[in-house]
Amino acid sequence: MVNQVDPITLEIVGNLLLSVAEEMGITLVKTAFSTNIKERKDCSTAVFDAKGNMTAQAEYVPMHLGSMLDVVNEVLKRYPTDSIYPGDMFVTNDPYSGGGTHLPDITMVAPVFEADKLVGFVANIAHHSDIGGMVPGSVSPDSTTIYQEGLRIPLVKICSKGELIRESYDFITLNTRTPVERQGDLDAQIASNKAGVRRLQEVVRKYGVDYFEACTDALLDYAEELMRAGIRSLPNGTYTFEDYLDDAGTHSQDPVLIRAQITIDESNAIVDFEGTSPQVPGPLNMVYSGLVTTIFYCFKAVAGQNVFSNQGIYRPLTVKAPKGSIVNCTLPVPVGQRIDTSQRVVDVILGALSKVAPERVLAACNSVVTSAIFSGTNPNTENYFVYLETIAGGSGAHAFGDGLSGVQVHMTNTSNLPVEALEREYPILIEKYALRTDSGGAGLHRGGLGIQRDYRILTDGLSYTGLGDRHKFAPWGINGGKEGSPGIFSFAKNGKEEIKLSSKVSELPLNKGDVVRVSSPGSGGFGSPFERNPELVLFDVIDQKVSVEKALEDYGVSINYNNGTYSIDIEETKRNRLGVLQNSI
Amino acid sequence: MSYMVGVDVGGTFTDVTLVDSKTGEIKNHKVSSTPEDPSRAIMKGIKDILEINDIAQSDVQYLAHGTTVATNALIERKGAVTGLIVTEGFRDLLEIGRQTRPSLYNFFEEKPQPVIPGNLRYEASERLLANGEVYKVIDEDSLHKAIDALKEQGVKSIAVCFLFSYLNPEHEKFAVKEIRKRFPDVYVSASHEIVPEFREYSRLSTTALNAYLGPVMKNYMENFLNSVKEYGIPVEPYITQSNGGIISIHESVASPLRTAVSGPAAGVVAAKNLAELTGYKNMITFDMGGTSADFSLIENGEPKISMEREVEGFPARIPMLDIHACGAGGGSIAYIDNGGALKVGPESAGSTPGPASYGRGGTKPTVTDANLLLGRLNPKEILGGRMSVDMDAAKQAIQEHICNQSKLTLEEATAGIISVVNANMSRAIRLISIQKGHDPRDFTLVSFGGAGGLHCSALAKELNIPRVLIPPSPGTFCSLGLLVTDVRTDYVRSTLEDASPESMNVVASHFKELKNEGVKLLEKENIPESKRKYELVIDVRFKGQNYEIPIPVEWDELTSAGFAALKERFEEQHEKIYGYAKKDGILEFVNYRLTAVGQLPKARFEKSTAANETAIPRAARQVYFSEIERPGYYETKIYDRKNLKPGNKVQGPLIVEQMDTTILVLPDQTMEVDDYGNLIINTFGGEE
Repeated sequence: MVNQVDPITLEIVGNLLLSVAEEMGITLVKTAFSTNIKERKDCSTAVFDAKGNMTAQAEYVPMHLGSMLDVVNEVLKRYPTDSIYPGDMFVTNDPYSGGGTHLPDITMVAPVFEADKLVGFVANIAHHSDIGGMVPGSVSPDSTTIYQEGLRIPLVKICSKGELIRESYDFITLNTRTPVERQGDLDAQIASNKAGVRRLQEVVRKYGVDYFEACTDALLDYAEELMRAGIRSLPNGTYTFEDYLDDAGTHSQDPVLIRAQITIDESNAIVDFEGTSPQVPGPLNMVYSGLVTTIFYCFKAVAGQNVFSNQGIYRPLTVKAPKGSIVNCTLPVPVGQRIDTSQRVVDVILGALSKVAPERVLAACNSVVTSAIFSGTNPNTENYFVYLETIAGGSGAHAFGDGLSGVQVHMTNTSNLPVEALEREYPILIEKYALRTDSGGAGLHRGGLGIQRDYRILTDGLSYTGLGDRHKFAPWGINGGKEGSPGIFSFAKNGKEEIKLSSKVSELPLNKGDVVRVSSPGSGGFGSPFERNPELVLFDVIDQKVSVEKALEDYGVSINYNNGTYSIDIEETKRNRLGVLQNSI
Repeated sequence: MSYMVGVDVGGTFTDVTLVDSKTGEIKNHKVSSTPEDPSRAIMKGIKDILEINDIAQSDVQYLAHGTTVATNALIERKGAVTGLIVTEGFRDLLEIGRQTRPSLYNFFEEKPQPVIPGNLRYEASERLLANGEVYKVIDEDSLHKAIDALKEQGVKSIAVCFLFSYLNPEHEKFAVKEIRKRFPDVYVSASHEIVPEFREYSRLSTTALNAYLGPVMKNYMENFLNSVKEYGIPVEPYITQSNGGIISIHESVASPLRTAVSGPAAGVVAAKNLAELTGYKNMITFDMGGTSADFSLIENGEPKISMEREVEGFPARIPMLDIHACGAGGGSIAYIDNGGALKVGPESAGSTPGPASYGRGGTKPTVTDANLLLGRLNPKEILGGRMSVDMDAAKQAIQEHICNQSKLTLEEATAGIISVVNANMSRAIRLISIQKGHDPRDFTLVSFGGAGGLHCSALAKELNIPRVLIPPSPGTFCSLGLLVTDVRTDYVRSTLEDASPESMNVVASHFKELKNEGVKLLEKENIPESKRKYELVIDVRFKGQNYEIPIPVEWDELTSAGFAALKERFEEQHEKIYGYAKKDGILEFVNYRLTAVGQLPKARFEKSTAANETAIPRAARQVYFSEIERPGYYETKIYDRKNLKPGNKVQGPLIVEQMDTTILVLPDQTMEVDDYGNLIINTFGGEE
């Protein structure tokens, strides 16, 4: 390791940079106006060196990990360094030119100067609930090009020498349905970067410009080395796996194939998506940087959880994908719901690795970011609103235990909005928020359960857009574990007669008394359900995670119910389980 | 004769401090803790200290203690079997929580199991709207069914939490009434009583934790009260709360959760008292022990309070002193990680196997080993000389685990362990100071606990804190805190309101109601009128934001004319914390908080007169310093704390040794002794 910088300084500078990023994150979340950022923390912050390498990141959402990777390079490409001044700030949201992975994510970048020398950058990215486009919330299953998904902001300055550039700011806010909220969020992003600039200057001042640069170089090498050590612990070889997305939205009902081939070669990993479906006329396409981010998440989780998040960790990874495929899309296809593709890519990678290292992965998770978007006019305030929320689901079982129920998985980890906050702001009543009995895949270790959430509409003239997946292709199990339940969207006019909807719903009109039901997918089990301890099955029945019927059908455990108590019929259970074993011989 | 007794229960030792109310003379005593029943050690400690000093039980006029009963019940999951009744449709909310997973990248990290299992969670058919109006009247049948089922299942405690009960508690009140009717001996916690605040999951989680602890606390309280009475102490004991105040022990039964994180609170209270005594009104407290270090911030004489934090993985929304813990202690283990960086902690060797040099089986290098090798700790004085120290084992541990895994020399590695653990701690201090808008240059670092003295001067230098203060007995500082505190109880009302001059009337009426509750409590506590105080705070935010800033207000500002000052104070704070404030933003009030304070008689501290003679070191040795421009060994004078008298001034580098700690002062720093026997280190040399 690591030229010129001793291990002690390395550790200290690494932590200092992280604390710069963390302070930026706190400022952003605590001052933002939209529920997306303030409650769900759908944002991230990062620090860069002067060459454009990311040196530290405070992430709340793994999808943002790589979303900012290219943005400083883009700044350096477009603006010669002699045209960048202290107090400048840049803004962009265009995935096709280095600005994140879909349009609602707005990135802001600020240069950091010390003694007239450019010494680095700070940046933050935040998911805005609306950036214009054909539907409220900007992401529509009807879209066929990115031009329908809202305003594309090329990389432009939003602050110049410390002054806000009103033209840029107004240009953005005019193009959204919710300008006041946008202003609050943009202000929070600017404040976050300002805090980052101040703090990074302090760090650089402490170490001196040259030594600081040596430290950040060493930090990149350090992260690379840790990542390589992690990859080396996987067996060499080539592993493939494939899975499907249900469909691509309104304009293509065909399943979408995701196929990956992973080659582990000592401390290098090569992931190739040859054979994956071409890009689609719907919002599920993902740009290359989104794919790289996803692969990195997988390897960080499997091989390097504690590695500092910086650019160095990407060096051992090679990611290949055919240009024009759904995981490396090209203009002009839409990208709004790329997160679901990203989630499916994670399943495919983990599926491939499950063949050689089942003890290091999860069975398939709900692996979608089930989104419900309500919009309309709130009769109490007469304001137009767009409310987006995401509903968690099951997390896959694994070699060491059951999957988690009702959690966000993989590329996202945003929290819910409290019902008491939601109902105060929007004319909606949550009638039920519960785990779905029997939705966790059966297994020696049971998959986590999905969620059911029922929305009763309290006023006329609203609309609902739903974005889901794994409604057709259920989350699979590992090592004999069974699959979990797929998701379901449904709708009941006036609360009566439930009608099943497709997994992508575009602007369904809603009136007072209607009920929308979102049931998110569960997740896969691990190992044979017949090996599960019957006591645990009994506990799940008591806990309403598994029904008496499924206990028998999936686990071979007979459960009796007498006078309010459940008990195992041990003899019967033995016979059930023996029968299956004999049949299988 | 009249004495005050304070008892602080720690993981290893229970400390007892006795103060003569007349003379202010202080005595300390230590006994081993008895975690299975903390009251045994407490009673033994009290008996011991009274017998040793030949004091009659009847002369004890004040007894306050901290207890870990609730804390331990939570950690060990030994609370009561508890049931839950919630709004229809929300039975699983306790388990879903905020629907996030605990770790972004660790697939295998579990969520903690809720303290109320699924089979004991029931729903009552009822619903309120977001304005508090009834949408669906509570259905008696569904409620009765739930109560009867819980009774049948043998629960000892029931938590009740309905949506929007913070606005309208009628349904919850009805449920409590029915529970008492049908199941009279069960313990009940209702969310509108425990934490009548907005955001259902925090409220539910807090209420469930409280119900879970209730019966355990009740049991403890009855036993302890009996022991105290039987022994012949004529006063009812007080108990510490997480907010730093104390409360009669019988009051703690209704809200046991308020005692659950009271452990480190007493030290902060003792520091607050020091702030008043010495006039250093801004303090950062630093309490470093064997496995962790606790930090908190006192601004203008008042400790910072936080309104919510996680307790054993669950959100608990109760006012607590804002104490930040960091996994850095004397026993923290150093290692080189896979990428070649030197790391220290959070894993600790604890007291067994302990540091490598202690020869109790520890083989990994710790912070204590590094301090020994650098000459900072006296190898002959560990535990008052009762233990021999193996320096070679310490060297070998560092050689093997650090030097052989890197290119570092023994000297670099040893000094590096100290640099890294100090860096970890300074990050923790940044978090509570710089990141919250406080400039460390305006603060005094108050160092206590067994290990703090060796690190405080370097931390102060690193963070530009101009001054360090070390009290006379850093090791028993916490139990002293119990003798200088007040009765404090917090009340809150939560209704979101657009802030305007006109709204101040409504605000005033909220505070009047809260005050009525406070008055009732203080009357019960026999606090005379003249000793009652009420502190008012409004949680304010810009409308549209989600996080509030607590803004203190005065009674006479609760008029339309007072609004402007309040608004200005909020904008100032927002600017201070986040770097900007929207001048045209609309404000929103979220919570109204009143703290009722009953001032109690406190231990007094007397100044002593300045010494005439200069301080004489008792020895000198070579000590390694890496915190300065030219690192290396420096001849360092060693002082005995007993021989340092008020008025003494000495120049670093130097070391002060005393029974319960060792204090290091860097070259270029100076140290003096103030009139109360506190050591004051001037971080950048010179005089006060």
